[in-house]
Amino acid sequence: MLRLIIEKELRDIVTSTKFAVTFASCAALILLAFFMGGARYHADVARYEAAQAENLKKIEGVTDWLQVRDNRIFLPPQPLATLVCGVSNDIGRTTQVRGRGELSQNETRYGDEPVFAMFRFLDLEFIFQIVLSLFAVVFAYDAVCGEKERGTLRLTFANPLPRRRYIAGKLIGAFLGLALPLLVPVLLGCLLLTQMGIPLSADEWVRLALIIGTGLLYFGAFLTIGIAVSALTVRSSSAFLALLVIWIAAVLILPRSAILLAGRAVDVPSLDDINAKKFRYQEQLFDEDRVKMSSFSPSSTGDMQKMVGEFQKFMTSISDEREKKMDEFSARLNEERANKQALQQSLALGIARVSPSAAFSLAAEALAGTSLTLKDHYLQAAKEYQQTFAKFMLDKTGMNPGGGMVFRIRIDDSQKSAPINPREIPPFVYRPMTLSEVLPSAVIDIGLLFVCTLLFFALAHLAFHRYDLR
Amino acid sequence: MTKKEFAMPATPMFEARGLSKRYEDGVLALDRVSFSVRPGEIYAMLGGNGAGKTTTINLFLNFIEPTEGEARIDGIVTHQEPLKAKEKIAFVSENVMLYPNFTALQNLDYFTRLSGRVPPSKAEYREVLLRVGLQEDAHQKRLKGFSKGMRQKCGIAIAIMKNAPAILLDEPTSGLDPQAGFEFIRLLASLREEGKAILMSTHDIFRAKEVADIVGIMNRGKLVVQTPGAEIAGKDLEQLYMHHIAGHNGIAA
Repeated sequence: MLRLIIEKELRDIVTSTKFAVTFASCAALILLAFFMGGARYHADVARYEAAQAENLKKIEGVTDWLQVRDNRIFLPPQPLATLVCGVSNDIGRTTQVRGRGELSQNETRYGDEPVFAMFRFLDLEFIFQIVLSLFAVVFAYDAVCGEKERGTLRLTFANPLPRRRYIAGKLIGAFLGLALPLLVPVLLGCLLLTQMGIPLSADEWVRLALIIGTGLLYFGAFLTIGIAVSALTVRSSSAFLALLVIWIAAVLILPRSAILLAGRAVDVPSLDDINAKKFRYQEQLFDEDRVKMSSFSPSSTGDMQKMVGEFQKFMTSISDEREKKMDEFSARLNEERANKQALQQSLALGIARVSPSAAFSLAAEALAGTSLTLKDHYLQAAKEYQQTFAKFMLDKTGMNPGGGMVFRIRIDDSQKSAPINPREIPPFVYRPMTLSEVLPSAVIDIGLLFVCTLLFFALAHLAFHRYDLR
Repeated sequence: MTKKEFAMPATPMFEARGLSKRYEDGVLALDRVSFSVRPGEIYAMLGGNGAGKTTTINLFLNFIEPTEGEARIDGIVTHQEPLKAKEKIAFVSENVMLYPNFTALQNLDYFTRLSGRVPPSKAEYREVLLRVGLQEDAHQKRLKGFSKGMRQKCGIAIAIMKNAPAILLDEPTSGLDPQAGFEFIRLLASLREEGKAILMSTHDIFRAKEVADIVGIMNRGKLVVQTPGAEIAGKDLEQLYMHHIAGHNGIAA
């Protein structure tokens, strides 16, 4: 009997004009998202390679490693980030790495090309989160009350059919009838990626499959919500209105409200405040150093080379001391801010997770490696690179120049030095997050989506058990 | 219409025993109604709007539960064993609404399988559709283009395919043209010949008079008159109906 209801639902959905229209639109959007993602990836790779080449070109002809004060590193484009953008376009992709000192990420995609920020990119996350959830609502709103209005419910239940089987058949049939056809454009999209030469590793293919699976689970959650609401209402117009309100609340209002609420609950000092404090402290340290510099006197006044050496040593020592103090001060301020930010963030996400839409976004972005952790992951990689770069510079120059001043007096200028080889600079190799790293955080949200689906299925079951079939 | 004589079994196929229904808003829709329909009998429930006909049907289908009394199908109390009772009943509603994207054959197949019957051959489906008067060229057409009469024929075909001993009809001739109404009544008579017990609610006095073995007149939830089939021919049913309905409603007959 369950199989019969499922078959009927499948046939009823697939033969409807509504399905043909919505499926064609969704399929076109999905394919477009894959195509645009692939095209964007190639464009990003070209931009990344050009920026790297430019970075090396900048120091071509330089004859002294001490003139190489820093190195720019770039976050390489990730194939999955073009399919599920997450925050990848909002975080700085370029980092100026010096031997020491704070690192800051600059040049965000949306900052560089603000026109894209206006409407954002069309990616799989958007299609699942907005388009497919609406697709589910459009098909589920009259699943039960529509049958009552049409009069088929009376005829159906004039037969020995248990209500629980009917509602389970409705849900399974609707899911199979709507979700399985969506796999066709998704699989075509995957094929398109391979044809476009997008280098997805085995790990990334698994993650992409999980993203699609999570999308279908989210779709199922909205389908279940739709059927539950349909089983709680008598008229399909009321069900549609109620579902529209639920959709707006879940997709548009709840996630944003969560951020606002968390922002009010936990006050995080702004970056401007922090920078102003750092600036004031740095000024204070420079004043102290100026006093120290005015009291400098070399041990011997005859030997110029020795004097310069002593002065360099003195300057390096006060610079090191200043940098150390500055680092400690910055670290304290940054840690305080980071702690508050982490608290605010976990509170915001905790509240937002009430919405299946937010849970899906968080899971998809975690799996794609484009969640909020991307920023920290990239920063951590940059910090590790900073140590490599510092060691390299120490080997080359005997000192770690950092942000301090370097004094060098060349007495004999008759010999021309050979230019340095910029390719000796150790390259920055970014290791993207792996499945095992991203899965733990995604599992929470996938679990929440599953629980949400089960809860609404139970609600649909209960509501239909009491449903007036007349 | 002639009626074939059947040996009357002890258990009636439809039986209402002191059946009452009071809705949550306090309205007494059905007040201690009792009647029975045996195999090979057609029972016509006549009455105006709000007389309690549809409530009676809903009680037999267990869409609602009685406040008092019992509705039985082949001795099975519907609100106690609804699924078992529904195995023995086929239902045709006033306005048969099937799945508009399915063809007549697909609808018939779906509801036949839903009734628990092993799906018969396509030839059998065709035969039944032809029997109810649906021309062959309509069998493979989607129902969205069907007239009410054609849908009604499909509804009857579904009821026949279920092969249930009890058939429940809710205003089956409402909105049908005279030709379709006549064909429908002829079909009912042939089903009676097969030994089916038929309980139908109707406004149509003339059709009731034509085909029913027993006519029950209902008014304000009560069964006010019950006339055996043999006596119908001798009485003017219209006058009887007007007397009871109009009289109870305070209208001069």
